[in-house]
Amino acid sequence: MTESMHEMTIRRLLAIVRELAVPIVSVVIAMVIGSIIMLISGFDPVAAFSALLKGSFGGGRQIGETMLRATPLMFTGLAVAYGFRAGLFNIGAEGQLFMGGLSAAWLGIVLAGLPRPLNIVLMILAGAAIGAAWAFIPALLKARVGAHEVITTMMFTYIGRYIVSWLVTGPLKAPGQIPQTDVLPTESTLPKLHEVTAFLPISRAHLGFAIAVVLAMFVWWVLKYTSLGYESRAVGYNPWASETGGISVSATTVKALCISGALAGLAGVTEVMGVHLRLFDQFSPGFGFTGIAVALLAKNNPIGVIAAAILFGALSAGGGTMQLEAEVPQKVIFVIQALIIFLVAAEQIARWIIGRASREGVEHAG
Amino acid sequence: MLAEIFTPDLFASAIRMATPLALAAIGGTICERSGVVNIALEGMMLFGAFMGVVGAMFLGSAWAGVLVAIMSGMALGLIHAFASITLRTDQVVSGTAINILSLGLTGFLMEVIFGHPGTTDPVARLKPVFDISGPTEGALGTAWRWFDAIVLSYTPIVYFAIVVAIVGQWALFNTRWGLRLRSLGEHPRAADTVGISVVRGRYSAVIVSGALGGLAGANLTLEQVGSFTEGMTNARGFIALAANIFGRWTPAGSYGASLLFGFADALQIKLQLFRDVIRIPSQFFLMLPYVLTVIVLAGAVGRAVAPAAIGKPYEKG
Repeated sequence: MTESMHEMTIRRLLAIVRELAVPIVSVVIAMVIGSIIMLISGFDPVAAFSALLKGSFGGGRQIGETMLRATPLMFTGLAVAYGFRAGLFNIGAEGQLFMGGLSAAWLGIVLAGLPRPLNIVLMILAGAAIGAAWAFIPALLKARVGAHEVITTMMFTYIGRYIVSWLVTGPLKAPGQIPQTDVLPTESTLPKLHEVTAFLPISRAHLGFAIAVVLAMFVWWVLKYTSLGYESRAVGYNPWASETGGISVSATTVKALCISGALAGLAGVTEVMGVHLRLFDQFSPGFGFTGIAVALLAKNNPIGVIAAAILFGALSAGGGTMQLEAEVPQKVIFVIQALIIFLVAAEQIARWIIGRASREGVEHAG
Repeated sequence: MLAEIFTPDLFASAIRMATPLALAAIGGTICERSGVVNIALEGMMLFGAFMGVVGAMFLGSAWAGVLVAIMSGMALGLIHAFASITLRTDQVVSGTAINILSLGLTGFLMEVIFGHPGTTDPVARLKPVFDISGPTEGALGTAWRWFDAIVLSYTPIVYFAIVVAIVGQWALFNTRWGLRLRSLGEHPRAADTVGISVVRGRYSAVIVSGALGGLAGANLTLEQVGSFTEGMTNARGFIALAANIFGRWTPAGSYGASLLFGFADALQIKLQLFRDVIRIPSQFFLMLPYVLTVIVLAGAVGRAVAPAAIGKPYEKG
């Protein structure tokens, strides 16, 4: 009895290890190729990666910075992953994020004076709603006429960014020279993590991180145990069979892309409420696009998204230190991201290496 | 005011703006006709635009820059082909990876080569092909001004794009090459059965689309702007894909649809000059091409039919 349970645990662990092998090997290969690019360009990759590590995990403040950068990536990663599960590629998470940020920057001022917990709940709900709304037209066009969501959500990203650009330079502009909205009152912001927990060191990490982690678990549960999640997965796996089986593909498509949009909208909300406390043109350095890399690395598993977002958060947090100390341009991180996507998507490369490594291991052992 | 807006240079500017879209869209047509989705056009264009400037700077000639841009696009095409044909990676994912790679590489190399982010140093641009002076007086002068602007004012790649559209249209439907290409995207197994190599055919189609994407980038930097700015393609690669769909996967249709988007872009730039008269914030003008793309796609897709085997890796069996 205990022995078979033991075996089951071991088998389960082995399955998890096998699942993780491809992403981990992919990340390592990407870093090796990244190092080669640095070497060719005349930089020292060892100095670069040690500066990167120092800047991302070197202390309490640095770990907090990694958590801070991981937060929006968790939301956008979840957004893209949810879409992928339903067979949809929400390449426009960036636009939904912008609209979420916009709603928070506006609503936070309107709700000034109300209790903080109420404001936080209302602003999160509003941001999710507008994120969903921003995905609704692409979703409808996909369901009704088959217009590819890659093009439409990308177009809506640009439309959303121009709307934000107009509002922060015009109607919502705070007094002064800089095109930005007014700063949010404290009751419309997210507390820092060290303010709500006694044991965490002082850092810029905010409550959004905890919200994102909880949400990731919730999305995992929704996908696995609810009929909504089941329908999304079924449509993503085989739309024709789903339709035959009584699932409305178009209704599921609209729902899934809107849920994806809502998740991406939250990234904008928490960036505004937890980091910038206001809105301006360039408040996202492409979190929506990096979310694609996060989702792919996580193989669209919401729990995996937590880990993948922390990895990319660390790359982003450490990037500054890398540029400062090793003088390697931060943009190399995009290159590493792209390589990770390639390698995870083209599993064969990683599998081949894993296969060789394990064969050699067996030979050595024998 | 209408006479001030609808001037000869508005139409000339529409054709210039349409050029990078059309080249990329025709690249998309060729690639997708072979059965491979190419959302990497954005990245190919961006990389071509950057490498064109680098090539022009180090080789000392804009024409050399154009060649470097084409080869850079082809290199990304080769990567896309290897990933999606040989490794059978999801083609949309591979395209996304190329777009991010291109964004990162151009940004990284910009700092390595030019020592700062943002915009590169200016380089010499390609000159207009014709430089003929005509009558300036009277009705003949007006006619000449229109003719000169709309027909004679362009740089080489602008004319080349028109040639690509015409020759491509003819070749796709009237040559053995075209028939083979279409068979790859419609029924690869049938093509394979009659002895056409699916792998080789798709590889060459993807690489040609990379060349056209790179050339589109060269048009942006070496003909239109004269320097490279990070992220300067601004989703043109995606608009080009919409143009390809609106043009029903044909080179001439792609060019026509690109003209529509080019005209929207030219018009919004022109209208911004009248900001004091038309009191609408500039962002709404800048939005126009993107809004138009959504509208066009919404109207076009139901009636346009994609190649049957698009997006599906081919397995010999």
